[in-house]
Amino acid sequence: MNDVVVIGAGLAGLTAAWQIAARVKKVSVVAKGWGATHWHAGCIDVLGYYPLESQEPVASPAEAVARLIGEEPHHPYALIGLDRLAAAIRAFQALCQAAGYPLHGSLEQNWLLPSAVGTFRPTCLAPETMVAGDLRQDTPMLLVGFKQLGDFYPQVAADNLAHQGIPARHAVLDLPSLGQYRFITPVIVAGLMEQTAFQAEVVEALRPHLGPAARVGFPAVLGLRRALWVKQELETALGRPVFEIPGLPPSVPGIRLHHILQQAIQANGGRVYDGMQVIGQEQAGGRVAAVYSETAARPRTHRAGQFVLATGGILGGGIATNHEGEVREVVFDLPVAAPAGRQAWFKPQFLDREGHPIYRAGLVVDKALQPLNGDRRPAYSNLFAAGTTLAHCEVIRERSLEGVALATGYCVGVVV
Amino acid sequence: MVESTLDQCIKCNICVSYCPVTAVTDLFPGPKYEGPQAGRFRQPDQPSPDHSVDYCSGCRVCNMVCPTGVRIAEINARARAEIVRQHGLPLRNRLLGRNEQMARLGSVAPWLANLGLHNPASRFLAEKVMGIARQAPLPRWSTRGTFGNWFKQTRERRLRSDMKVVYFHGCSTMYYEPFIGQAAVAVLEHNGYEVVVPPQNCCGLPMLSNGEFEAAAGYYDNNINHLVSYARAGLPIVGTSTSCTLTLKEEAPEMLDVFSPEAMALKLATWDIFEWLEERHELGELRTDFRRLEMTLPYHAPCQFRAHRVGKPALEVMALVPGLELRDSPARCCGIAGTYGYKVEKYQIAMDVGAELFDFVEAQGPAVKMTACDSETCRWQLEHGTGRPSRHPIEYLAAAYGLYDLEKRQLVT
Repeated sequence: MNDVVVIGAGLAGLTAAWQIAARVKKVSVVAKGWGATHWHAGCIDVLGYYPLESQEPVASPAEAVARLIGEEPHHPYALIGLDRLAAAIRAFQALCQAAGYPLHGSLEQNWLLPSAVGTFRPTCLAPETMVAGDLRQDTPMLLVGFKQLGDFYPQVAADNLAHQGIPARHAVLDLPSLGQYRFITPVIVAGLMEQTAFQAEVVEALRPHLGPAARVGFPAVLGLRRALWVKQELETALGRPVFEIPGLPPSVPGIRLHHILQQAIQANGGRVYDGMQVIGQEQAGGRVAAVYSETAARPRTHRAGQFVLATGGILGGGIATNHEGEVREVVFDLPVAAPAGRQAWFKPQFLDREGHPIYRAGLVVDKALQPLNGDRRPAYSNLFAAGTTLAHCEVIRERSLEGVALATGYCVGVVV
Repeated sequence: MVESTLDQCIKCNICVSYCPVTAVTDLFPGPKYEGPQAGRFRQPDQPSPDHSVDYCSGCRVCNMVCPTGVRIAEINARARAEIVRQHGLPLRNRLLGRNEQMARLGSVAPWLANLGLHNPASRFLAEKVMGIARQAPLPRWSTRGTFGNWFKQTRERRLRSDMKVVYFHGCSTMYYEPFIGQAAVAVLEHNGYEVVVPPQNCCGLPMLSNGEFEAAAGYYDNNINHLVSYARAGLPIVGTSTSCTLTLKEEAPEMLDVFSPEAMALKLATWDIFEWLEERHELGELRTDFRRLEMTLPYHAPCQFRAHRVGKPALEVMALVPGLELRDSPARCCGIAGTYGYKVEKYQIAMDVGAELFDFVEAQGPAVKMTACDSETCRWQLEHGTGRPSRHPIEYLAAAYGLYDLEKRQLVT
């Protein structure tokens, strides 16, 4: 039997399971499918904008988080505190370092990296494959796209960066190897990038475009399993730093982090299952006794001593809404903090600067990250929650998605 | 309703990045395009927007990774059936779908059938005339009799008990690999269960996956008639062929839109044998008087087993055997996907898909003598791709109970 069952395989669920497995407990991750890790940029955003109205990106996440903790006592960061956030960041950096895929940065200072449309993207930790894109320096860059990969338009990114004072040009490569394909995905290009012959083809086609560029940016397709090596090979051949710009899903840098976490869990005997949607639960004496997942025939029972809910928010599917204005947590039907009535969910403007109140919907938890019932007591003595299923944060506008997921997942993983 | 799930697609492309076929050939543009996207253009009695959906191997990896629950593989299978309905079915696919008749025919004179089929000239002809790839790993007929014969002949020696289990053997165990069924019977009896083997026929999956839905519906209906009384009496129906049990559980009713009470009773009574054994173990009912099996064993949970969405029960149960060092394969699919890899235009795709698995086995080192896999065609593909023998997990379990010889593939008497 499992000591712990984790529901959900986003960054929060996988981080919790990694910490649980590392403490020699038997853990299974049960997930409907892959999700958040394949959508995000493969960086760890801790806090990009604070206060939210500010147009200036956060320079020091540690300072901004400290201020947020003082001003928003219900925010997940306030519940766990700066020290535990820092511990989570350190542990995750150590894991990625050991996996040969270092994440650079610290809570002291945000990076400013280019987005796929040439905006400035504040983030706390970035993989080594991205850091040469740092926009705090204005060394000239060349952004490279592939004619056959429609997910990245280097001209849009380069023009926007140039408008903002970063000398940036672009080039689109039309490679014979890619021309053989009727269609291309980032994962296919990432696989090709791990082949020396393809690297040579890229370098050959790129050389005439280099000009004064002191660094070269690619879409984030520089290898799936051997990204660092691909980057180093390209840098050696081109004689200048190379970086990746994350774009549309599926995110190759996100998948790399997914692989690292999954391997860390499995190496310690943990199991990670996709295609298993949890659809119900059984309780006894104030505890969760089991959860049930959907199968091809009868529901499957998963018993464990403790359970971690990391099913995500509205986008992740952990919280469901309907036309009657109901907001539900999908597995345990826990109380959800949400604006009452559909009228209160949204501001009149689609792109309202203040965001929409429904974005802050989620579970109310205590400092141990245990979901609370209506009486503000833990709903079940052995249930914990982590990630974007938590209320009182707005991870996309804050640019805190991975930070909240990683830190709360880590905290739960340490205590269960 | 299978098609209605396409509205849940959020175009995140996760399925495309995991599709093992898309990864090796651009003849198949990927699950998202074929399933939820092309699905919007498929209207009743109108021509299909494209025929590349035929390159879907039906492995269901897309369904498993989809974060929003789109039934992509089923959408594709139904699209293929519509193409077959409009354009007819090639003779080859009709034959591959009718594996049961072919198998029964050959079993009349297995020596002759093996000789007739397994020689370079016949394979060359079969490829040229019918498009069955000459290198693809076709099975050999059992020369030790069928499973059915063995079960009848040993009736006197079979265990009688109040605890009964129905065994669904599938065509492969019946005609090619009766020893799988013998191992299953031995394991079940060792645990105190009487094994009941009612009349049964092909589950219909080969026809479903070749788009021949009408014929499949006939086979499915027969199986319901044969088995429903056992299901209603509360007997578990266990199978050693993961794709047969998946068909009885879900594929047949869902793809054929059969949701009768009888079909649902059969669905709920059907188990993969390791799914059922794992539950026995969780309830403390499984005997664990295992001998040591000193070996390093790469295990591949076939995609058709993972699609049951019950985890990896064979891995969990085999892990109880002392000495057995299991290496869990991360490969998505072996490539063969039932009848897919036998088709001449898809043989190389299947081998390229399988490379992930073959490489994994190789990486476990030369000490690895055998592999384990639950599904018959996957085992044949594994043997073909690695040159090492592959066994069903039930054979290892029977051997661990001291009931079975893994080398000779026969019961220890």
